[in-house]
Amino acid sequence: MALLEVKNLHVEFPTRRGVLKALRDVNFTLEKGERLGIVGESGAGKSLAAFAIINLLSKPGRISEGEIIFEGQDLSKMDDTQLRSVRGNRISMIFQDPMMTLNPVLTIGTQMIETLQAHRNISKEEARLIAIDRLNEVRIPSAEERLESYPHELSGGMRQRVVIAIALLTEPAMIIADEPTTALDVTIQAEIMSLMLDLCKMHNVGLILITHDLAVVSQVTQKIMVMYAGRVAEQGPTRDVIQNPRHPYTRGLMSALPQQNQAGKRLYQIPGSMPTLDAMPEGCPFNPRCEYVGERCYTTVPELEDLGGHMARCFKARELKESGSLS
Amino acid sequence: MLKLKTFLDSDFFYQFKSDRVAIISFSVIFLFFAAALFAPLLSPMDPHDPSQIDIMDSEIPPVWSSSDYAEPDERFLLGTDAQGRDMLSAILYGLRISIIIGLFAVAVQMGLGIAIGLISGYVGGRVDAFFMRLADIQLSLSTMMIAIIVLAIFQASFGAELYEELAIFMLVMVIGIAEWPQYARTIRASVLAEKNKEYVDAARVIGLSSPTIMVRHILPNTLSPLLVISTVQVANAIISEAALSFLGLGMPVTMPSLGSLISAGFEFIFSGSWWITTIPSIVLITLILTINLLGDWLRDVLNPKLYKG
Repeated sequence: MALLEVKNLHVEFPTRRGVLKALRDVNFTLEKGERLGIVGESGAGKSLAAFAIINLLSKPGRISEGEIIFEGQDLSKMDDTQLRSVRGNRISMIFQDPMMTLNPVLTIGTQMIETLQAHRNISKEEARLIAIDRLNEVRIPSAEERLESYPHELSGGMRQRVVIAIALLTEPAMIIADEPTTALDVTIQAEIMSLMLDLCKMHNVGLILITHDLAVVSQVTQKIMVMYAGRVAEQGPTRDVIQNPRHPYTRGLMSALPQQNQAGKRLYQIPGSMPTLDAMPEGCPFNPRCEYVGERCYTTVPELEDLGGHMARCFKARELKESGSLS
Repeated sequence: MLKLKTFLDSDFFYQFKSDRVAIISFSVIFLFFAAALFAPLLSPMDPHDPSQIDIMDSEIPPVWSSSDYAEPDERFLLGTDAQGRDMLSAILYGLRISIIIGLFAVAVQMGLGIAIGLISGYVGGRVDAFFMRLADIQLSLSTMMIAIIVLAIFQASFGAELYEELAIFMLVMVIGIAEWPQYARTIRASVLAEKNKEYVDAARVIGLSSPTIMVRHILPNTLSPLLVISTVQVANAIISEAALSFLGLGMPVTMPSLGSLISAGFEFIFSGSWWITTIPSIVLITLILTINLLGDWLRDVLNPKLYKG
């Protein structure tokens, strides 16, 4: 049985100007210890998908359809008490900016001990020992003293390590990392990423990595899901998708990556920008920006086409295969 | 010991040391509080005990002055009132009562205000609308008006005797309940700003319950405005109590607060016994002024945007 199985997930926001469908028909599975990358532009619905999985959408957002089966239970149908016993316990989340996610007025130790005590019936002293253990695991020097520190006393990289340590405290089965390295210095990004990868492998934790960074995804994950305007544009094994992208959007993203042999040349750029939810074009949402656009694209939304484990939402997915990777 | 050392090293203490107004205000407040706390030890007699009062000692002026009717007496440093009660003792005990009422009334305000403000800000929606409209209604009636109505009705319906026994409690409750919107609004505003920050999301993701998030995570982040309004509110509560006592709705003459002392002496001010009302007034004004000055200083220090270097 898969660790997480998301079936036909739809999220919508009822607003003054009608119901906005922010996420449509998202399907994926994550096995135990497997790592999935979700990529896409800002506003594509990546973070929304993450919050929907743990059923923590901010009002008025709601899951209108679909199932989120985690360890055999449907998270979308749980009540608050049940959900609280899953969140932070079986599923942890790591956010973008560690300065924002740590409470500025509580010490690291308080925040760690509190997390543990929220889920386990243990004493403060035991919780402290586990906390020190985890801080050592994320390679924070003199962990014991650090427990007394406030978040502002640590550097950005250290803070993110603390956040990772907190995420690992309760030995979760799955971690959702929402752009965990975006707010960090480039040199520290690599360190943090490799630390996360090591720890996920070590503890056999499933990872959902949300990022803009295709390079990171290709190194860390086994599966990838490319999102565009609330829909899955393409998904499949990371290697397949990266080497042989079947959706024009993924191809665009790939070509927009800086490459060594293209040094000095102008970077490719996908023209235009993603449509907002209330101004979705008729037909395929990518049609205004697509260089392969055809007549059909203006009238109907393509279905996800299965090309043997690798799926793309494009009428021309099969044709694109022949022309090979754009890079 | 280590905590004390970090405190002495902190910016806060440095700012305090370099501000003369703050030091003076704090010292005066400290003196008043200490005097109030040790009133039974400091005062020459117990003003609440009628057997220690001799009517023959009435209206004796303070030692440094004189009056047409009586000579100053060594026993009464600040003179006596119309019943022959030692003013110094009465003021010390009165200060004690005023401060007790001020602090407890603020505790009631704070308790109510924090609870309502947190819930209103965090839950939002209808709950928020309900409590905030309630606050609006409460604020549109002045504290004094509510207090006068409630206390007058209480006195009329249960008699003055029971009232005398319950006066402190009643004053604390009335002033406390009448002023909760100040706290509730301040807290709510801070909660609204804090609740959208990511650490609150993170706390929810960790699986903490809403009460825990409110009390343990959001509340500590809203404390500095709270500290500032608390000083002002203590001063306000003491003033309210004094005003009510002056109107005869506060502390009874047998157990006078500063306000009742001022009120009791007021009728003698034109007959030459100025000290009965003037000295407690000076004490009250000094207390309120220093609390407000300290509050202003605290606001400047805790709000870096107002930092003047």
